[in-house]
Amino acid sequence: MMIKFLKKYKYLLISLASVAVVLLVWYLLIDVMKMTKSSVFPGLEKTFRTFIAKLTQKKPDGATLGQHLLESLKVCLLGYSIGAVLGIPLGIAMAWNKWCDWLIRPVFDLIRPVPGLAWTPMFILIFGIGIEAKAMVIFVNSFVACIVNTYTGIRQTDELHLWVGDVFGASSWQKLTKIAIPTALPMIFTGLRTALGGSWMALVAAEMLAASKGLGFMIQQARYISRPDLVIVGMLMIGIVGLVLDIILQKIETMVAKGMNAQ
Amino acid sequence: MSVEQKRKLITCTNIDKSFKVPEGIHQVVSDFSLEARENEFICLFGPGQCGKTTLINLIAGFELPDQGSILVAGKPVTSPGPERGVVFQNISLFPWLTVMGNVEYGLKMAGVPKKERQERAQKYIDLVGLQGFEHAYPVKLSGGMRQRVGIARAYCIEPKVMLMDEPFGALDAQTRYLMQEELQRIWQTEKRTVIFVTNNIEEAIYLADRIIVLSNCPATVKKEYVIGLPRPRQYTSPEFLALRKEIQQ
Amino acid sequence: MNKKQKNITELICAVVSILTFLILWHIGVKGELGRLMPGPLPVIRMFFATLFGGTIGSRTMIIHILYSLIRVMAGYFLGAAVGVVLGLSMGWSRLVEAVFSPLFRIIRPIPPIAWIPISIIWIGLGEDAKIFLIFLASFCYVTLNAWSGAKNVDPDYLRAARMLGAGKRQLLFTIVLPASIPSIFAGLQVALSSCWATVLAAEMVRSSEGLGWIIIAGMNNNDMVQIMTGILAIGLVGMLLSMIFRKVEARLCQWNKSGS
Repeated sequence: MMIKFLKKYKYLLISLASVAVVLLVWYLLIDVMKMTKSSVFPGLEKTFRTFIAKLTQKKPDGATLGQHLLESLKVCLLGYSIGAVLGIPLGIAMAWNKWCDWLIRPVFDLIRPVPGLAWTPMFILIFGIGIEAKAMVIFVNSFVACIVNTYTGIRQTDELHLWVGDVFGASSWQKLTKIAIPTALPMIFTGLRTALGGSWMALVAAEMLAASKGLGFMIQQARYISRPDLVIVGMLMIGIVGLVLDIILQKIETMVAKGMNAQ
Repeated sequence: MSVEQKRKLITCTNIDKSFKVPEGIHQVVSDFSLEARENEFICLFGPGQCGKTTLINLIAGFELPDQGSILVAGKPVTSPGPERGVVFQNISLFPWLTVMGNVEYGLKMAGVPKKERQERAQKYIDLVGLQGFEHAYPVKLSGGMRQRVGIARAYCIEPKVMLMDEPFGALDAQTRYLMQEELQRIWQTEKRTVIFVTNNIEEAIYLADRIIVLSNCPATVKKEYVIGLPRPRQYTSPEFLALRKEIQQ
Repeated sequence: MNKKQKNITELICAVVSILTFLILWHIGVKGELGRLMPGPLPVIRMFFATLFGGTIGSRTMIIHILYSLIRVMAGYFLGAAVGVVLGLSMGWSRLVEAVFSPLFRIIRPIPPIAWIPISIIWIGLGEDAKIFLIFLASFCYVTLNAWSGAKNVDPDYLRAARMLGAGKRQLLFTIVLPASIPSIFAGLQVALSSCWATVLAAEMVRSSEGLGWIIIAGMNNNDMVQIMTGILAIGLVGMLLSMIFRKVEARLCQWNKSGS
């Protein structure tokens, strides 16, 4: 009975053991044996306490963990949604109309290779260090990723399917909405997810450079005052939020795909 | 020396095989027995999805029987081995290797020195009529050419037994006839014991020394025909058509 | 339209499009906006003036570019090498997967940029910290793709190879590795652009040379021309990197393309 249980969950148990060993080594080396100063590598216990305390405390950077998180999410989602709302239609237009393609793409190709966060200094000079500069950086990021993926997605439409549309007398608009866009949907969602990941990353960078609130600001401040425990709490928070956002988008994707199929 | 006097190469005795499926247990092979002699060409002929592929997988050693035993050249089959070459229905060439790379793969794994293995691979590439395509990647070849590579690849490890699982199933009718002729020519040049699975009766009569007709799921031996027609056979000769009528009943 | 005419029209459109963009930019900054934004001409002039001759900070543009590039390459290749080995082993062996996948799943969602503060605390402000960050950026993407590549190897290839007498080790090196290459390359491509963004962020946060430094120093000196020159260089190098990548990929993944 016991052996059967062990066999069935062998790999799950190994995974749990692996995490446990890492935590244990961390605890033993830092908390028990005091291998390094706590200003360099924080103990497991201390990090956990910091996390709990930071949920309610405003020290040392003027906001609780929740407030930082909300600030970051607000800026990120603002810039991201504007980028997606403008980027996806433009991507579709470029892929569907050759004149749009020929006239817009050259300029777009000039801008595309610049990583979104490289615009940060410029936007900060233009807009100051408020929400606009950060939102602009996120906007550029999500705009570019959405255009690229939508464009490739629509371009992948099987020519045969379009011919089928022709045979049944579909108008160009019908072919676009009934054939090309559904085909491109997975790519569009890939674009939305890449864009969200990229936006989240660009936001952290922007907040580290110029901000007075937000998770990126928090970990940068914690670094200045040598609080690695707080840095690690912030990093894990950034990671978890990124993951949750991605999962939410995946769920939306399956829902939309289902809705399309049901039609 | 008559066929009966040659030594037995494959002996399958009372094989059973079933798989677990969500609805319970699905028996695909039941009490199957077979003896194949050296250089005999045997066709397993049967309808649709009735465990023919499973039989090939069992003899090849990809799967083990629940009951019964399989001996190849006197040794029980427990895993794939170089004395059994397999030609797959979906061909499964390695797309990242050229024709030469695919054909010499088995010899390379066995540690045969480069010069020798390329000479041997070349021999089989020539045998299947692909000289000039040694350095092409599979993606550039037609379906029939790919299956020629598949045959050369299995031949190149110089197995005693060739197991062919509906190798021409995915080809169009025209190419299929051509490949049947080609396979017969190849087999007559380089004789091997062949177990050839097919659901095409013409193919079976054209190629086989012996046809074993299988029942539908679970697969078991229904009837056996020894085909004595002289080779090469004519698809339209009266004897051929008579056999076809008889087996199809 | 036949093919030749089409190509010519497309080319004309491209020229028109870029010229319009530059002219609009040039006219746009004439008025009020001009106090904030430089026109295209000063930017292009500064780019060529500093490329080999003049300096930004204490170095010419080409030296700045080289600094950034060397940092990227060091971290990129290191991360890619470790990522391929770890990813393939995770895809190949359930034991390795069970040990490493939970740890990997914890680390992966944290963007490399968020590692900047902790890496400064741990490693300091030098080159090591920057290379560590770029290593992380490359490592995460490559591991993920090598892992899924190795897990999704067509089982028919494995059967065919076993039939031809390949042993367990041989299967790993002659089947799993090459079959995962398209997936690994997809990871390498994302990793490259992620590394390029990461090096800029690292240089912006803490550095005294490199393209990231150029734009952040431009911000600190209120010098918009310098920022835009930096962005121009960043875009050009980014474009060059992805062009080189595509060439290498086309060479190595020849067998994967069905076209003529």
